[in-house]
Amino acid sequence: MMRLALLFCCLLAVVNPLRAELVIEITQGSDNPTAIAVVPFAWGEAGVAPEDLAQVVQDDLRRSGLFDPVARQDMLSRPSTEQEIFYRDWRATQTEYVTIGRVRLVDPQTLQVDFEVFDVLRQNRVLQGSETGPVSEARMIAHRVSDAVYAKLTGIPGAFATRLLYVSVTRVANDRDFYRLTLADSDGVRPIVLLESREPILAPSWSPDGREIAYVSFETTRPAIYRQELATGQREQLTNFTGLNGSPAWSPDGNSMAMVLSKDGSPDIYLMDLATKRLTRVTRHYAIDTEPTWMPDGKSLLFTSDRGGRPQIYRYDLTTGLTERVTYEGPYNARARVAQDGRNMVVVHQQSGQFHIALMDLQRNRLQILTSTALDESPSIAPNGSMILYATKSGDRGILAAVSADGGVKFRLPSREGDVREPAWSPYMGRP
Amino acid sequence: MMRFDRALLGGALALSLVAPSAFSQDYIDLEAERARDAQYPDTSTSPSDPYGNRVPGSYPATSYGVNSAPAAPAGTPTSLASPQPVPVAGPESGGNLGALLMQVQQLQREVMTLNGQLEEQAHELRMLKEQSLERYLDLDRRLGAMAGGGTAGAAVAGAATGAAASTVPAASTGTSRPTSGAANVAEQPGEGEAYRAAYALVRSQQFDQAVSAFQQFLRDYPDGRYAPNAHYWLGELYLVITPQDLEASRQAFSLLLSQYPDNSKVPDALFKLGKVQFLKGNRDRSREYLDRLIRDYGSTNSPAVGLARDFLAENF
Repeated sequence: MMRLALLFCCLLAVVNPLRAELVIEITQGSDNPTAIAVVPFAWGEAGVAPEDLAQVVQDDLRRSGLFDPVARQDMLSRPSTEQEIFYRDWRATQTEYVTIGRVRLVDPQTLQVDFEVFDVLRQNRVLQGSETGPVSEARMIAHRVSDAVYAKLTGIPGAFATRLLYVSVTRVANDRDFYRLTLADSDGVRPIVLLESREPILAPSWSPDGREIAYVSFETTRPAIYRQELATGQREQLTNFTGLNGSPAWSPDGNSMAMVLSKDGSPDIYLMDLATKRLTRVTRHYAIDTEPTWMPDGKSLLFTSDRGGRPQIYRYDLTTGLTERVTYEGPYNARARVAQDGRNMVVVHQQSGQFHIALMDLQRNRLQILTSTALDESPSIAPNGSMILYATKSGDRGILAAVSADGGVKFRLPSREGDVREPAWSPYMGRP
Repeated sequence: MMRFDRALLGGALALSLVAPSAFSQDYIDLEAERARDAQYPDTSTSPSDPYGNRVPGSYPATSYGVNSAPAAPAGTPTSLASPQPVPVAGPESGGNLGALLMQVQQLQREVMTLNGQLEEQAHELRMLKEQSLERYLDLDRRLGAMAGGGTAGAAVAGAATGAAASTVPAASTGTSRPTSGAANVAEQPGEGEAYRAAYALVRSQQFDQAVSAFQQFLRDYPDGRYAPNAHYWLGELYLVITPQDLEASRQAFSLLLSQYPDNSKVPDALFKLGKVQFLKGNRDRSREYLDRLIRDYGSTNSPAVGLARDFLAENF
């Protein structure tokens, strides 16, 4: 049965590669973006390059909101080596940095990009690097180039060579809807449907090494938690308890998973040892305890509970067993996610009846509302902490949107069709 | 994940499959209660025990939101004098069990709300405590500054006028009095006279003699009540004698700073140290002292802070 379902998924993946593709619209950029030129990379082989890698890099940098790439028609020259750069040309167009690159095939299946970044004012090279990978992963190679350039020029590690998980829903009139669990690059391109079902799919989440995912599927008509390996598609049903089985959250060491079960009454947080499948009950309260998430040090869990009458974020310390309330501002704070630095937490925050994404500094206990749309939910933080992806409504459609951690940069990723919800930004991926 | 309330709904739905009677209604039905009150306006006079436990059978079962069975089996004796506890078992107690569960649920809701209020109030209290401590420290600083403010202010105001000869400012205003910054140290016999005698030399601009007098004063009363003042004046005097002795002045002010860190002259000494270091050509050290002064005493009304700001603005 399961194998059949799996086969079905694989088939769909082949058949529907372009379904629910996301398109990016930047709605608000940084006030003072850096002008950078990404000159089309030279192709060192016969024929045409399989992918315009410079375009990918340029789009990545633009999407970060911190860069203002020079349009190609405004480039006075298109150098691919240092000798061909005439700084005067670039100063004339007020370009601050120039990125050049050369692409070639190491062997028929392997692509190599050599890239360099030059400072126009100082007239020197600030970065030189090279990325290699299979031809089929050309876009990922380009994202890694973007990561290197971004890291060099901003001092923050890039998060372009990462991926997104999301659930898209296609409404079917007078029938059950189609749910698709989709994996895409961080720019929304190259979507792959991992699972298609007529029953709801919820709460996709990543293993800390980015090789596996977990999610809740109702395919057996009851909610159950599954884990699935991305490389092989192999999956395993982890829970099948009466009542709620939800919100899987992998521990930072990858050995256990926090989840919500209601098998013993009201929904509570449990930990499952993934090797032995043994369960430990974490919370024991007649209120609803849900949406667990780990602090990056793995020593405590944050969760949402209405034990105080209204949903707020609480922290459970795994060593002391003490629970303390974290959020006090506003009547509703739910679904926390914590940045890798362990300092910033994003939540869904209610203010005057509207749901926004808010960032809370856990050290100084300051809450800052980042979004201005009304029905924002399911925030997910990029592994470098720079952007927050969330689900919101545009008209009557569910779309994904992103906002920078300081609220300055915003863009939307509407789907070509259907509703998109529950985004989950991957951790840094190990190299393939 | 779904929004919390949806999750809640989902949870309640899932639970209702498990225990339909327990969780079919997880809210207090205000409408139903109002309707019931209207229907039975005499509820206040209906039999109930002093703790508000309703006597079974006195209301229709609908008051607990259970419509299936009467609350109490017919014929159950209900005594006004000794109200019965709600029976929890028995062939006909399904309705009562439902009522009990409903009550438990209402209690849970109430406890949760109270819990929330308690958490919020504990939080508020914590914040208030922090705030009041901060306010107290601020007040303490201000009071300390005020206690020595007269002298310090005048002295610095004069000093800031710059010229060597006029650096005897407090004297002319006549406000110079030993500061009470170290008021807990008792004045020793003869100390007051010795201090005033030395100070009189400052007033009459006999700076060299004043230096000797203050030095002698410190030898006689090293732990005296006015010792910090003596250090301060020595610091000032070393700047106005000819030749100027910057290093001796620096030492005098530093001594005041290290030995009497709570003295009300400290802000002034910091400003002076900033100036001395500036004169010695140590711009960085000078800046350090002035920044420290503004950082530590910026919220007080010490005139030295304003002088330091001006000095920084002019020279840095």
